[in-house]
Amino acid sequence: MADDVSLDLFDGVDEDPAEEPTPPSAPPPESPAPEPRVWSVSQVNRAVRTLLEGSVDALWVGGEVGSWTRSRQGHCYFTLKDEKAQLRCVLWRTDADKLPADPEEGMKVRAFGSLTLYEARGEYQMAVQRLEAEGAEGLWRLAFEKLRRRLEGEGLLDPGRKRPLPRYPETVGVVTSPTGAAVRDILSVLRRRAPWVRVLVRGTRVQGEGAAREVARALDTLAASGRCDVIIVGRGGGSVEDLWAFNEEPVARAIAACPVPVVSAVGHEVDVTISDLVADLRAPTPSAAGEAVVPDGAALSRQLQALPPRLARGLRGTLQRRRSRVDEGMARLRRVLERRIAPPRQAVDLAMGRLERGLARALDRKRVALSALAGRLQALSPLAILERGYAVARTPEGRLLRRVEDFTPGRSFHLRVMDGTVEADAVGPHQEDAT
Amino acid sequence: MTDSQDEAPTLEGRLRRLEEILSQLEADEVDLERALGLFEEGVRLVREAEGILSATELKVEELLSGGATAPFAEEDE
Repeated sequence: MADDVSLDLFDGVDEDPAEEPTPPSAPPPESPAPEPRVWSVSQVNRAVRTLLEGSVDALWVGGEVGSWTRSRQGHCYFTLKDEKAQLRCVLWRTDADKLPADPEEGMKVRAFGSLTLYEARGEYQMAVQRLEAEGAEGLWRLAFEKLRRRLEGEGLLDPGRKRPLPRYPETVGVVTSPTGAAVRDILSVLRRRAPWVRVLVRGTRVQGEGAAREVARALDTLAASGRCDVIIVGRGGGSVEDLWAFNEEPVARAIAACPVPVVSAVGHEVDVTISDLVADLRAPTPSAAGEAVVPDGAALSRQLQALPPRLARGLRGTLQRRRSRVDEGMARLRRVLERRIAPPRQAVDLAMGRLERGLARALDRKRVALSALAGRLQALSPLAILERGYAVARTPEGRLLRRVEDFTPGRSFHLRVMDGTVEADAVGPHQEDAT
Repeated sequence: MTDSQDEAPTLEGRLRRLEEILSQLEADEVDLERALGLFEEGVRLVREAEGILSATELKVEELLSGGATAPFAEEDE
């Protein structure tokens, strides 16, 4: 009923605004004034609201965000403004939850929605369904930066946290959509490079409402199985919104908490996500992740083939070194011995020299002394006395005959003169007292 | 609970041991008898590692809720 009335009330306003408005059922001014028709506030607001909603299609409005608040129920209230005017806006929770981040005040945004009227206050406003920051990926970028800063503050992005991947994993875990291109790419690389490894897949949704939590749970489950040496988490390429789960906190936390190294491979080379930053290694694509986690089997086989000869060389080397070490030892021993023998030998040489020289000197001295003695002996020699004309008489037995009485008459004796001995006989005494 | 490779040394374990053996043999910190033992062990490890690498079929399983595994059904295309 009321609706009909209010519709009547504004009939014709839109159709022909130029026409002189005529009050409904206007009485002639000169006639006595009847009671005017009085509308209730609710009726008017309802009528205005209906008019507004019915006459303006949903539209994009661009402006700056002012006074943004999010109610406890999750609805967002804010204003859009330019230099001259502002427009009240509301973003209901279901749409607000799709925002990667609340815009900051002063941020240039554009909002898509319909104009309506909040009847309780008589204020007109825009019911916003989509809100985008100006410039590509504005709000996504903002949310990314916010989370990145927070994780950075917690030290989760420190290069020092990055663990090296195992060189030869036995089991590779994969968290991704079981039907996506990513798992196909990863498996084909692993099959080509390292068909001996085992792969354990934990499928999950990777986009859409709640995908981040699912990815995080899948990662937790796979890690908790304790079977994987390394885990790849990721998905193929897509829009910013498609990849968004990998920019959300639950995935970041699950990666950080994973007990084995995690390789993040989200989208294409240009897409860098939070999970890339937290992971131990960022692979530009899922295929690249496959390459990163396993060694190349062909190259490894070649390396293995080179090993037995190397082992043999090592063994031969040990033998040779052992032999040369013996030689070397012998040489060293010889040198040591020589060093230890040399000093005494030299001392002996030295002593011998000194001894010889000493002996020679001693001999010389003896020789000098001897010739001196010889001179003195010469002087003392009885022969020298005999030379002067004396003679010595002795019995044939050699006893000296000194006195007259020694010469009994007839006695034979030897008389020693300067150049020989003469045999003589005593004739008689010829006492001569005075001599 | 039935990981048949649990008890056996892994490829990684074998290759690491090989590296040890080589570095010992090449640095010559071992006596002759030990060097011979290392050589034989090394050759055996190379053979075992080659055996592992000769696998031709990638084993892909899916981890089910509850911890069991099932062969992973790849979408053919």
